Amino acid sequence: MSSSTFFGLDIATRGLFTAQRGLTNVNHNIDNINTPGYSRQVLEQRASRPILMANGTGMMGTGSEIVGVNRMRDEYLDVKFRSESQYLGEWEVKQTLLEELQVMYNEPSDSGFNTVLNEFYNSLQQLSTDPSSPSARAALKEKAMMLTKYFNSVAAHFEYLQNDINEIIYAKVEEVNSLADQIAKLNQQIYNYEVTGNVANDLRDQRGYLVDKLSKIVNIEAYEVNYGKLPNGRDDMRFVITISGKALVDHNNVTHLEAVQRENKLNEEDIPNLYEIVWADGNELTIKSGELKGYLDVRDGNNGLNGSSDFRGIPYYQRKMNDFVRVFARTFNEGIIDVDGDGVLDKVSGHVDGYKLNSREGDPASGIRFFTMFDEYGKPMSSATFAAAGGTPIDYDAMYSQITAKNFSISSEIFDDPVNNISISGAAEQVGNIEVLRTLIDLRHNTYMFNEGSPEDYIKTIISCMGVDGQLSSHYLNNQTVITKQIENRRQSISGVSVNEEMGNLVRYQHAYKAAAKMIQTYSEILDILVNRLGV
Amino acid sequence: MRITNNMLIDNMMANLNRNLNRVSNYQNQLSTGKKISLPSDDPIIASRALKLRTDVAEIQQFKRNVNDATSWMEITETTLKQIGDVMQRIRELTVDVSNGTKTQDDMDKTKVEIEQLKTQLINLANTTYSGRYIFSGFKTDKALMDTDGKFLIDISKNEQIFYEIGIGDDININVAGCDLFHTGDAAEGEKSSFINTIDELIAALESGEQTTVSGMLGKIDSEINNILRVRSAVGARMNRLELTANRLDDDNINFTKLMSKNEDVDIAEAIMKLMNEMNVYNASLAAGAKVIQPTLVDFLT
Repeated sequence: MSSSTFFGLDIATRGLFTAQRGLTNVNHNIDNINTPGYSRQVLEQRASRPILMANGTGMMGTGSEIVGVNRMRDEYLDVKFRSESQYLGEWEVKQTLLEELQVMYNEPSDSGFNTVLNEFYNSLQQLSTDPSSPSARAALKEKAMMLTKYFNSVAAHFEYLQNDINEIIYAKVEEVNSLADQIAKLNQQIYNYEVTGNVANDLRDQRGYLVDKLSKIVNIEAYEVNYGKLPNGRDDMRFVITISGKALVDHNNVTHLEAVQRENKLNEEDIPNLYEIVWADGNELTIKSGELKGYLDVRDGNNGLNGSSDFRGIPYYQRKMNDFVRVFARTFNEGIIDVDGDGVLDKVSGHVDGYKLNSREGDPASGIRFFTMFDEYGKPMSSATFAAAGGTPIDYDAMYSQITAKNFSISSEIFDDPVNNISISGAAEQVGNIEVLRTLIDLRHNTYMFNEGSPEDYIKTIISCMGVDGQLSSHYLNNQTVITKQIENRRQSISGVSVNEEMGNLVRYQHAYKAAAKMIQTYSEILDILVNRLGV
Repeated sequence: MRITNNMLIDNMMANLNRNLNRVSNYQNQLSTGKKISLPSDDPIIASRALKLRTDVAEIQQFKRNVNDATSWMEITETTLKQIGDVMQRIRELTVDVSNGTKTQDDMDKTKVEIEQLKTQLINLANTTYSGRYIFSGFKTDKALMDTDGKFLIDISKNEQIFYEIGIGDDININVAGCDLFHTGDAAEGEKSSFINTIDELIAALESGEQTTVSGMLGKIDSEINNILRVRSAVGARMNRLELTANRLDDDNINFTKLMSKNEDVDIAEAIMKLMNEMNVYNASLAAGAKVIQPTLVDFLT
């Protein structure tokens, strides 16, 4: 048995087609070398079905054919990448924001808290060497204002930052929703293409890329679920993305996230109306990692207080500063402080027990509180108005809990007439008497003022705590960057387009094409002999 | 492992970036002169820096306090010396007129001189330092006594003004006028016992009785001794101030040195490291430029 006359031409034509598909594929790969998320495609080529020769001379080859276009992708690496990139996102955010927080304290420098406190105490010392001097008294007022303004400014900056982060959280929620919508659309398209048995390579790449982006924002798990069998016998696979166990995208359905304003503050230090992230269907959402977690932790983290995360974020530092100004003001004003460290508050001389510069024999102690707060109009509050909140008998906690770092101020008495109202004398009409002033100065070194020690120790603790957290987040970020980079490298190694390889293929297919064309030419010549020159 | 072009480029970019980060780190150190710019760069250095800054600021303030204390006490010391000189003169005059050869006329002359000296003593008792009466205890805005030697204010020996010259280290800088010019505390309107002695002397001179005049010598001597006692106490305190001033100078240098050691960059070391990082960076740039350029495309014709 012999083959038909034109069979050779058929084989050669198939060869041409195969080579052509090959070239197209090379072309496609090269074009997409820089497309994010793209996986290189490889043709699945095989010898076409051979013809069994009846005379026992074996099988006759029939050329080549393309049976599929495969996408080079390791799904395991995708899962791995997504489980790591969520932490990358989280620490990127935390590292950046902690750096911003540190800049606000401006330490160590010559203009940070330390300098302000030093100058305040130096001006007290200066006053002690010339207690009746109007200029030393005016200088003390200015230095005290510098101290209060430092706290006002840091606290205000913290609030701005909290507000900014809040806006970012809103935007990130929108981004999650938009990504989820796009993924759901792609799911439908991919499903429609693949129901016929094809693989929607490029659409899958696009979806993978969107899922990667999503995985950096929030902790997600993405997988395909088998829903049973299709009529054509294939598995009915549907794509699902969950956040903490609840589906964000279920095939072509999306449950959106929503940022709703809180009715009650989580931390008393918070600015009002912060966003809470919930499911749009009303369910509660737990965010475990990702950029969103980073933002939430820095915005809400109060070292585990009020059910916030253990992270030390803005509310924590606001609380610490509030505590500082409250204790500092109470100690300075009232002299109520644990002097001996036995855990019980003692009473020593405070500013209220001092006598004014212009006091006359028989006058009582001034009763003026040096530090109070700004009233609702932003003016320094008078000592009496401030003390009214304490009630009778005086509840000092209630009185001083009114003060926050943001409204900390000197009292209106000190503001209006520092020369007479700064009360540092231990007796009336004794302008050279600095008994009260000396106890005020001594308080600086009272290591029982705070749990952390003296005022400087307290702030030092806050700043080193922030420094350590910042350092830690840098380390985490570096580690996470290395890990994700390594996974990305492995992904690129499998899925990336290599120009060399494609050029090799280009040459290979070009040669194959040329050879197939040569075959056609040869057959043409053979047929020419057969048709035109034989017989006639 | 299969290497693709984008891997090469991505890795090169990541490495370049890392190198550049290190270059920028050293460059930053050199341009600020500080090892750290944020506490997170090194929390230990940061917290030590805070502590040392406080120490240095305090030492400098204590130095200012010591200077103020010294000026005040120098004035006190000078005044005490002058009071001593005046009393010495009074004693000489008293001794002079105590021997039997002096006439009433001599005594009258002496009396006139002693009256002048009394006025001088009262003026000295009202000495001021930058507007503050140094012997008036806490009432530095009021003069100690009037021209008759009566106290214008209540004054107690307890009215001691302290300056802080170290943490928990106070020094008493003033001499309460009652300690010097009176025995024990004095009330407003009370006559100074010291001036009273002078007045008694004047009265004795007026009476012309030599025995009474010579009898005054014992009282004068005891006042002189009192002044010497106060002077030596002031001297001892000034001595202490001087020692403290020296110690504070040393402390200031030591703590400033410590502060610098803690946070300042070792310039030579930082430059070396910067150069080293620059070399690495340049090498990685050169290598990168060579590696990412050629592909097979360059060789196919």
